[in-house]
Amino acid sequence: MKPAKFDYVAPTTVDAAVEALVAANGEGKVLAGGQSLLPLLNFRMTRPGVLVDLNGIQGLSFIEPRGDRIAIGALTRHREIEQSPLIASKLPVMAAAMRHVAHLAIRNRGTIGGSLSHADPAAELPMLSLFYGAELSVQGPAGRRIVAAEDFFVDALTNCLEPEEIVVEIEFPMLAYDGWAFEEVARRFGDFALASIAVSVRRGSSTIDNVRIAVMGVADTPLRLKAVEGKFSGVSIDDRTPDRFSELVMSSVSANSDLHASSEYRQHLLGKLAARAMRTALTAKE
Amino acid sequence: MNSDRPAQPLDVLRPRNVGAPIRRTEDPRLLTGRGEYSADRKPDRPLHLAFLRSSQAHARITRIDTAAALASPGVVEVLTAESIVKDFKPVIPFSRMTNYYATPILPLAAGKVRYVGEAVAAVIATSRYLAEDALELIEIDYEPLGAVSRPEFAVTEGAPLLHDAAGTNVLVAREFKKGDVASDSKAAAVRVGGRFEVTRKAPLAMEPRSYTVEYEKRRDAITLYTSSNIPGIVRDAISESLDLPGHRLRVVAPDVGGSFGSKGSLYPEEILICIAARRLRRSLKWTADRLEDISSSSQAFAEIVDAEMGFDANGIAISLQADVIGDVGAYSIYPWTCGLEPVQVVSFLPGPYKIASYRGAVRGVATCKPPTGPYRGVGRPISTFVTERLMDLGAKALGIDPLEIRRRNLVRPEEFPYRIASGIIWDRTGFVECLDAAAETAGYRELRSLQADARKQGRLFGIGIASYAELTGIGSRIAVAPGMPINTGSETAKITIDSTGAITAAFGVASHGQGLETTLAQIVADDLGARFEDVRVIQGDSDEVPMSTGSYASRSAVLGGGAAKHACRILSEKIKRVASHLLEANQDDIEVFGGKAIVLGTDRAVTFRQIAKAVYSDMKTLPVKAREELSATYTYDPINGTTAAATHIAAVEVDPATCFVRIVKYVVAEDCGRIINPLIVDGQVHGGVAQGIGAALFEELVYDDDGQLLSASLIDYVIPSAPEVPNMEVVHVESESGVEGGFRGMGEGGTIGAPAAIANAIADALSPLGIEVSLLPMTPERIFRLMEQAKLKSRGKSR
Ligand SMILES: Cc1cc2nc3c(=O)[nH]c(=O)nc-3n(C[C@H](O)[C@H](O)[C@H](O)COP(=O)(O)OP(=O)(O)OC[C@H]3O[C@@H](n4cnc5c(N)ncnc54)[C@H](O)[C@@H]3O)c2cc1C
Repeated sequence: MKPAKFDYVAPTTVDAAVEALVAANGEGKVLAGGQSLLPLLNFRMTRPGVLVDLNGIQGLSFIEPRGDRIAIGALTRHREIEQSPLIASKLPVMAAAMRHVAHLAIRNRGTIGGSLSHADPAAELPMLSLFYGAELSVQGPAGRRIVAAEDFFVDALTNCLEPEEIVVEIEFPMLAYDGWAFEEVARRFGDFALASIAVSVRRGSSTIDNVRIAVMGVADTPLRLKAVEGKFSGVSIDDRTPDRFSELVMSSVSANSDLHASSEYRQHLLGKLAARAMRTALTAKE
Repeated sequence: MNSDRPAQPLDVLRPRNVGAPIRRTEDPRLLTGRGEYSADRKPDRPLHLAFLRSSQAHARITRIDTAAALASPGVVEVLTAESIVKDFKPVIPFSRMTNYYATPILPLAAGKVRYVGEAVAAVIATSRYLAEDALELIEIDYEPLGAVSRPEFAVTEGAPLLHDAAGTNVLVAREFKKGDVASDSKAAAVRVGGRFEVTRKAPLAMEPRSYTVEYEKRRDAITLYTSSNIPGIVRDAISESLDLPGHRLRVVAPDVGGSFGSKGSLYPEEILICIAARRLRRSLKWTADRLEDISSSSQAFAEIVDAEMGFDANGIAISLQADVIGDVGAYSIYPWTCGLEPVQVVSFLPGPYKIASYRGAVRGVATCKPPTGPYRGVGRPISTFVTERLMDLGAKALGIDPLEIRRRNLVRPEEFPYRIASGIIWDRTGFVECLDAAAETAGYRELRSLQADARKQGRLFGIGIASYAELTGIGSRIAVAPGMPINTGSETAKITIDSTGAITAAFGVASHGQGLETTLAQIVADDLGARFEDVRVIQGDSDEVPMSTGSYASRSAVLGGGAAKHACRILSEKIKRVASHLLEANQDDIEVFGGKAIVLGTDRAVTFRQIAKAVYSDMKTLPVKAREELSATYTYDPINGTTAAATHIAAVEVDPATCFVRIVKYVVAEDCGRIINPLIVDGQVHGGVAQGIGAALFEELVYDDDGQLLSASLIDYVIPSAPEVPNMEVVHVESESGVEGGFRGMGEGGTIGAPAAIANAIADALSPLGIEVSLLPMTPERIFRLMEQAKLKSRGKSR
């Protein structure tokens, strides 16, 4: 389990990194925390000609407010996001989700840019980027462009980037909410999710004004459930609201199956988590 | 001066090491990265091995082309079965069992491959990277012969044969019988039964298998550093296979990072690396990566058991019958044979119970998977799972409490020694005492009332009990594996005081995590009268004792400890003889304690160092005849061995939403005889239970019908991690056994009791839904399906 031969470059600016990718002629691969890339290299499932290491680039690791958004640098480690007071107060769903990301040693190395780019269908940050409607700032040979999270994830482990493009930073809009919840089930603490849902709710005294819903672990990419959001805005709240919500969520996805869970079981889990999440989101503020 | 002799034996007054919670002396080095494992050896300019492994489950090899690989940078040699034919004799896992076919063990697949992951070719290069690059250049043509994945399919007419010479896929078949089962079963007031299954496991030691061979050109000699728990067996087998005498073949198990059975058999790679060293006259290294370790180390369990138990109206079990199919994989392993695991299932099925009549039939069936081998508990986790499920089913059918039905059936203190229906003899052990202690510690009555409350709230709360007994530290009268020609009944201790007064105790046993370095030193210190910190324990080195087999089958404390006690007795007599000269006292008035020989009741004493000096260095003080070498060797054989037993009680709650099982309480009451070190005993129980939790809830090697392994990484092969292992209470019922020292083996028990206790607890939790548990692991997915089926059934009924 040793990687095939590759060249290694360690640029100190994003411009130089892009240049290195251009020079690699489609054979380049960016190295961030290495937590997903290195296993793939060792299994020889990916064989880049050149590894372009981003870790020597200054200024790619930050968490800062920008108006009604929070900007996070691509090289920011999971652990920094998990422990950030700014994230805890402005993006509480993200703060709640971060402790489910892998294990401490992996969170110390893994980066947000790497997690989004890796595009695992059961990874928390890709789902959160959809949930918040994040925008990724991407740099390539032609300069920077902005990619909406909903356009970024193409398929399982596939994003929309060109081989010469690098994610530089991500902006997360802060959501107005009255209540929220994040629910996840994984075989063991720190494993990739079997099913997970994030919900936030704006409500009046007896009706839901609007909801935001994203799920993961059930399809080839994380999903934002806009159709359910539409059907649930303006509905009145009663005891049966969480169950109705659960049914709606379940009927709007058809879960995948794998070694750990059949589609029926995943679907069942998602339904239970949806009800639980809505209950929590509604009781946060009566 | 005999009058001032104390009335009490001295060892009662002296602080003793045996029984004390002494911290493991190996831990500081192991925990700070200063241990030395096989891969840490640094021979002079070693070469590196990499194996090309079969991608096919069952196929004829029609062509291998190694030319391109051989021309690849850094490559020194590429070996295939054909190129090494003259370098070795195949190793045969012989047994005297009838109805057994011994599949020859070859270092590389010859003619055909029989499982995905079997080594077909070996590249030897100047680095592992370059060796792996070259692997990709080897071309192999295969002609598929049809995969055999399910054991039920393997025994059908017309299934492809894995070993043509065997004429069948049934590599071993046996039957145990006592009494008239058919008529006892007919006479029973109730009969319970079913089809039970425990799936395939990976032992999964933290350190993968790893071999370094150091070649000594000077005398064509080899030292093999192997992550093995049977270095002595490996030495003898390779000596025979390569025709290399023991003084030119040294096998050492240095620090070994766990085995759980996976390092307890001879491996093709171990033979091959020695062949390569002799051919090339070079030192070599190989360490399995995780994928290789999961897909080519011996695997575990994989049995299907059809069983039925009959009870009389009082809940006394009167008959038991079982048909077992063991999915033993593609080959029989050396030295244990493919009979080891499945035959033990039928040997141990009657468990600690007095069941009058028994029939147990077993077939070990070849499939396209790596061989099964020893795994912590061997056979008994499955036999206990089945028997304990049957006990609970019987209790339910008769309306008797599960605790009470076990009390009625366990062998009672006055009935030992007791021969159970399969022929095993239990010596005096605290069966009933363990049951009672576990029930009391768990608060069994309170748990039942908690359960009643939980059920009222619609919660799924269950309690499970498992009692079992096992043979440990067995001597020469019983073979560890049936009909096997190797002496597994004895172990040697060689204890020496050198010219500096330092004590070295050498053993053939080979700790791979059990802490023998500590426990054996405790025994030696007490029995020799030495200070604990002055005793160095050497183990797992074939140069140290003439013959040994190693550490397995919960034998090392009993056999190694027993040998140590005898050797100490001989050596301490020698010490006293020398001291009586030096101190001018009667030998009977001398006591050896704390590294000194002391004249009782006086302050006259000589240290071991002074004694050693007088014996070895000083030509004047002692008469020539009195200068006996301060060394003693003893080979101990407990002949029969001894029993160990425990009762486990688990309380679980099943979450109906997620279908996850949470272990709320876990209690073990065990009888391991005299405790040498309570910290180590607790640690062994904790680790064993953690592994049993893996078997009960998580771990499963999944092979598809084409023989491809689907769970070949630690993402897909799920083991319990710290949050999944609950706190446990461990109670010790310390009844001394009949062997030297009163010890009993206890390294495996945790894994034997836990699957059954948890299975029973889950079944109890789900019983309001009419669900029974007959397959492990009980994953959330399986519980979900059972609950869905139960829902459909109850809907069907209400309609
Ligand atoms: C045992 C284990 C368990 C895990 N469990 C979870 C979990 O539960 N939830 C979870 O979310 N994650 C989990 N992970 C994944 C972990 O979060 C990874 O750190 C993350 O997915 C990748 O981040 P990285 O910085 O390590 O990226 P790398 O491994 O360095 O790179 C991953 C991929 O992204 C590309 N890439 C990296 N940075 C950029 C960039 N700035 N621009 C463009 N492309 C880039 C790389 O070229 C590569 O293709 C787990 C990982 C392991 C090993």
